[in-house]
Amino acid sequence: MTLPLYGTASLSAGFSSDKARSVIRLRAVDSIGERHASDFGLVKTPEELKRAAESNWSSIFVVSDSSIQNEFSESFERQLILVPRKFDYLGDGDVLGFDHSSRKFRTLFRRNSAHNSLLVTERCNNYCLMCSQPPKDVDDRWILNEIKESLSLISPETRALTFTGGETLSDWEDFIGVLRQCRDRLPATSLQVLTNGRAFANSQIVDAWRDIEHPNLMAAIPVYASVDSTHDYIVQAKGAFDETVLGILKLKDRGQRVEIRVVLHALTAPIIAETCQWIARNMPFVDHVALMGLENTGFAVANDAMLWIDPMDYRDELARAVDLLAAAGVNVSVYNLPKCVLSRSVWPHALQSISDWKNGFVDECDRCYERKTCSGFFTTGRPRFSRGVHAITS
Amino acid sequence: MARFLAPEAFSAATEVISLLPFNFERTGTQQYLVANMVGDFIRLTEDEINKLIDLRATPGDGLYEKAYSAHLITGSNQQAQRQLLALRLRSRMSFLQQATPLHIFVVTLRCEHSCPYCQVSRQSTDRSRFDMSEETAMRALDIAFASPASRIKIEFQGGEPLLNFSLINTIVSTAKVRSASLGKKVDFVIASNLALLDDVVLDFCKSNDILLSTSLDGPADLHNKNRPRPGANSHELATTGIRRAREVLGPDRIGALMTTTEASLDRVDEIIDEYLQLGLDGIFLRPLSPFGFAIKTKQFQKYDAKKWLSFYERGLRRVLEINRQGTPFREFYAALILTRMLSDRPIGYVDLRSPAGIGLGALVYNYDGSVFASDEGRMLAETGDNAFRLGNVDRDTYESLVLSDKLIDAISSSLTQCAPECSTCVYESHCGADPVYHHATQGDALGIKPLSAFCARQKGIMGLLLDILENSPEDAAILRRWVS
Amino acid sequence: MRHMPPAAKDLSPSPVTIAVDLDSSIQSLEALDAAAYRLIGTATCQIDRVANRYVCHLLASTSPQRRGVLTPDDLKERFLNLVADENLRARVAGKTEGVRNVILALAFGSLAANQKDAG
Repeated sequence: MTLPLYGTASLSAGFSSDKARSVIRLRAVDSIGERHASDFGLVKTPEELKRAAESNWSSIFVVSDSSIQNEFSESFERQLILVPRKFDYLGDGDVLGFDHSSRKFRTLFRRNSAHNSLLVTERCNNYCLMCSQPPKDVDDRWILNEIKESLSLISPETRALTFTGGETLSDWEDFIGVLRQCRDRLPATSLQVLTNGRAFANSQIVDAWRDIEHPNLMAAIPVYASVDSTHDYIVQAKGAFDETVLGILKLKDRGQRVEIRVVLHALTAPIIAETCQWIARNMPFVDHVALMGLENTGFAVANDAMLWIDPMDYRDELARAVDLLAAAGVNVSVYNLPKCVLSRSVWPHALQSISDWKNGFVDECDRCYERKTCSGFFTTGRPRFSRGVHAITS
Repeated sequence: MARFLAPEAFSAATEVISLLPFNFERTGTQQYLVANMVGDFIRLTEDEINKLIDLRATPGDGLYEKAYSAHLITGSNQQAQRQLLALRLRSRMSFLQQATPLHIFVVTLRCEHSCPYCQVSRQSTDRSRFDMSEETAMRALDIAFASPASRIKIEFQGGEPLLNFSLINTIVSTAKVRSASLGKKVDFVIASNLALLDDVVLDFCKSNDILLSTSLDGPADLHNKNRPRPGANSHELATTGIRRAREVLGPDRIGALMTTTEASLDRVDEIIDEYLQLGLDGIFLRPLSPFGFAIKTKQFQKYDAKKWLSFYERGLRRVLEINRQGTPFREFYAALILTRMLSDRPIGYVDLRSPAGIGLGALVYNYDGSVFASDEGRMLAETGDNAFRLGNVDRDTYESLVLSDKLIDAISSSLTQCAPECSTCVYESHCGADPVYHHATQGDALGIKPLSAFCARQKGIMGLLLDILENSPEDAAILRRWVS
Repeated sequence: MRHMPPAAKDLSPSPVTIAVDLDSSIQSLEALDAAAYRLIGTATCQIDRVANRYVCHLLASTSPQRRGVLTPDDLKERFLNLVADENLRARVAGKTEGVRNVILALAFGSLAANQKDAG
């Protein structure tokens, strides 16, 4: 089941037209403590509606399929949003972005999730064949502003935040400013930034990154091959490999943390042992390598014929790749692939990695011994299942 | 509407490619072993190597991919590979930043063995003539602590160093105080035959964290033949000593080294079994030392190398078999070479470096205060050849020793990076200069490599390791885990 | 008269020697020297210039331990292979000397700068 993170409110009231969007935070109606101007009482039952009025909530967020227009028009002076029942997963501490005129909203942050990811922009200077977030050439710099607003609403107890895109460093000065704010407002939150790394070929940018002096910041950068032409083809950008590798070198030269990611599909999986051999030999100083099963969404669907490969058909190469990196002392993990399609030698490196909102299992999994520690499957896009999927019962 | 470009759009045909530096060796009809500037190996056919040199490689032809990954070609306007090679080269040479980590103190020439191959004269009577004095030891410590290395190792040798145990005591306590005040670290090793190992010595080693290194040439008859001793029980004393030391100090605080003689060459299995039985975690299969053997003709050395290489290969394969059967056990020389071949981490071993490790890697302080560039250099002096005597602790400082013309000449003239054949050798990145060996066997620090048994051995070992890495997956996995 | 067998066999082998000549207008002397160097211990090589050719006189080394006898053709093939390899090395060096210096400068150039600062 895929959690719907986007939607349209059935009803809204009290939002002025002098501002296009608002960032709001949901609070349980009984929650104590200081109320932020952006806080909305979260109401899911008529009981809670009553308590909201009693607790003097001037702004409320109602999750309900029924029409409740009549019940409260006078009691609430400020703002009201009503959304359908399917958004019942929303809870205390969650942060949303809300568009006043269209009533469209999106979940920016969920407090009880371990996989919070903030989209920074949809622009990108690569155009990967398998991109799960196809680039758009739009002026969406308002997103960074919305993120800045959200930071004061996000719980400082949040363990980790991921920044994604598009290319997160598209507006690098503004974005680095956001990271600095994270350092100040959320000092205990580790940050992971997904980026193609090409910006770091520019010394000015990598120096600015270093100067954030964040206590726990990791750049997660894809490298798809050990050859420029292959990598450039996969990311559809000439010169990308050279810039990305140079960027990684500059980051490590300044003591910054780097993870290398490789998405596994028909163009990268057959050569994965060679790619990992190259990483082990040339960049053994990276902090982590993540080898990742393909999410069949976005461009991956359009390019399915070129990209689909059954994980059973690269199982041995993947085992070799993991062994090469491990023998060289490099931390390596395998993400997004169920254990039944992995060699046993790879299991210690296989992590449960699929974001909760798009993670699922199939019926076969009910009788599997390894289910508790297995990645499971993506529920997004058009899931394709390996012929090797089976319950492990021995 | 998404528009994707075909692979050809990313082909270097639209961009100029350049050749990167590489060495090679013909390995068969139309077969070449190629190494890039940092020693990564790749095999090419004659046709491929010619295509490469003419830059007739394009993405998609397989050769382009192989060559690009191996840093044999690059885009003329690209930067990353040049930076990568530079970075890796710096790492490989970074041992130069820690000059002279090893300091050997020959605390006495006295010994109660009478080993035939030992260049050290056995002076068993007059203490004062053949023991290092405290004054000499203190001056030597001055020099040792003047070296730039942030962590030094002091190794006690002899004769039998335990015969001058009181001086060892003094040196250790002085060195500890000195190192603390200078913010340096110091490790200690005593290279002893263990005949005199008793509780006093063991307690001393334990409380001062001192490593023991002893000789174990193989089974009793082989060992005792090499190391005659009144009572003919050298082997028994060594093995008893090893067991006791393992028990009291811990299994990783005592190591054993073998001396290889002609008699060892047919008995490598037994020698390895001897080490295994004592629970040692590995063996160092060493070459025949030329010191003490008169080498009449240059040809003789090369056949020596062949026989020794069969000994080595047999030994290495036996070690691999032991691993396959479930016991972790290393061959230490292979482990050093593999670390050079499979990583860019510099190794601490001073005898396989270019610039050579003489002086820059180690200094040897003889009992009489004379200072040598290496242990073999000291052995040479025993036969009257002072080519590697650098000075004396009374007259010299660290700088005057290490910057002496004698040392600089020997190091610079033996650089593999500049030497004929070495500079274009496919194995050069993983090899080293051995000026003392070449001086002893050929009369000059550089040596004529086609006549050098050292060279033949190095090529043989590296060729063997490459063959296993490429053709035997299970053994290759074992070898890879030996990389430190 | 009965045929008498020889009293002793003549054991000294005839020296293995061969001359190889190459066009001096396309073959460099450096490469020949380098090939000759690699042959030390196997054969001596004396190079003469005759008109526009280099004539290389190869003489297999004799030594009591030398096992396996090279035929003149083996020796010639070995030498020509070595020369071909040295010619290849020269081509590679010519094409890579520039970038090699760039990489060395990148690797160690900053050390020179540091030394200057250190005085």
